[in-house]
Amino acid sequence: MTLLALAALAAIFSGSLCGVLGYYIQRFGIVTLSFSVAHAALAGAALSLVLGADASYLALATAVSFALVLGALSPRAPRERELVSMGFFSLFNALAILMVYLSNVYVLSSATVAVVLWGSILAVTRAKLLALLGVSALFLTYLTTFRSQIDAIVFDRRLAEAEGVNVRLHTLAMLLFAGGAIALTLKLTGGFLVFTLLYNPVASAAKLARSARGQLLLSPLIGSASALSGLAASYAFDLPVGASIALVSSGVLLMSYLVRAFADRRAMSRLARGAG
Amino acid sequence: MRLEGVWVAYSGSGRPAIVDVSLSVPLGVMVLVTGPNGAGKTTLLETCLGLLKPVRGRALLLGVDTRSRGIVEARRRCSYVPQDFMRAPHESYTARRVIELGLALSPLGAKAAAERVEWAAKLLGIEDLLDRPIGTLSGGEQQKVYIARAMARRPDVLFLDEPFSSLDRESRAAVAKAIREYVNERGATALVVSHDVSPVLSLVDTIVRMSGGKIVEVGRRA
Repeated sequence: MTLLALAALAAIFSGSLCGVLGYYIQRFGIVTLSFSVAHAALAGAALSLVLGADASYLALATAVSFALVLGALSPRAPRERELVSMGFFSLFNALAILMVYLSNVYVLSSATVAVVLWGSILAVTRAKLLALLGVSALFLTYLTTFRSQIDAIVFDRRLAEAEGVNVRLHTLAMLLFAGGAIALTLKLTGGFLVFTLLYNPVASAAKLARSARGQLLLSPLIGSASALSGLAASYAFDLPVGASIALVSSGVLLMSYLVRAFADRRAMSRLARGAG
Repeated sequence: MRLEGVWVAYSGSGRPAIVDVSLSVPLGVMVLVTGPNGAGKTTLLETCLGLLKPVRGRALLLGVDTRSRGIVEARRRCSYVPQDFMRAPHESYTARRVIELGLALSPLGAKAAAERVEWAAKLLGIEDLLDRPIGTLSGGEQQKVYIARAMARRPDVLFLDEPFSSLDRESRAAVAKAIREYVNERGATALVVSHDVSPVLSLVDTIVRMSGGKIVEVGRRA
């Protein structure tokens, strides 16, 4: 399989996985927690520059370990979650920059650092693609097995907890899947932009689809389309792949807001005409 | 359900929300917790359910300490109707799905679960609302959906926080009667928090009056 085909498949699968995960992360109310998990992965990938180990696996190890720590701390109040997340976000960013500084690479444009910071299609291997497929299959199995409990949390987290759903365990599971997806997507998008695929597609879907089911179906479609289009733009114009994906998905998000605003305005004027 | 010298404080509030509260509620009774705003009624209910942990004292639900891991299992035998139940207009879950989600951990098969949903909807008189998105329902209708969800679970303990707040007078009386009948038929316990005592006053076995985070009076029907 050619490098480009591998990268295209990785873009489609990571876009879809992150799109679905992003929906649940947003509905579970753990966006900022997953944001700090993404930066734990970045710190792990940056650590690989110092240790000379594989960036994806170190990112996976730090993201998963940190997700477990968050699960143990289990901050319940939304405000507390925000504060804890932003504290860790700063810490992991600082660690990542420190690791880049301590590594043996002297210029930021060197290939090794580029993979960690803004991604590269050259970094996608058959093994990483299979790992991504494995995590996707595991996540789908998890969603299918615990569908009702997960839906109960999505509908009302507090009520689900009061009814004996193990909200803490499912939150931890979501963070672990987020850690896995982020670590495996990181080489394609780069550490600073990996969160784009988790957040932008679901935000766009929330603007374009009214029903929860519609959002859940649309989010992975937007995610994979953004990742694939970003990859194509990067290839065509010789741009960093992570930045290209982030720009495309930000463009889609902006368009979604405009489409929603236009649709709302039209609906309102139709209502006003009807009333008149 | 038992509270033993329980103190509960919210993080950063500087003062306890409930102070040295002790209460024992046996199975098979209907209890009304009443008092003015800020008396600690909702805090008391959420402490009994283990959603809030005591900073001092001990809370037991169905014999399980609410600080222990077993509380998750104990909650599966309970139902809860929260005070803040209103969903945004764009919430697309149908009333039927909302009630079904209450059975997420139930061993019932799909057919039996569907029948249970129908039974609960009939009890609350909301059969015709089942296929409507919950966000499009009025406050009173949404509240009935939540109460139907609570009943559909056939719990041993019902926790109801201001369950009459959005209902009209007729519905209040009907819902209060349905709760009483459920308690009688199943030997369950209902803990009803309400500042409006009129719908349930004649139906409850015990009245707990709270003020300033303390229980100031407990009255039992002779």
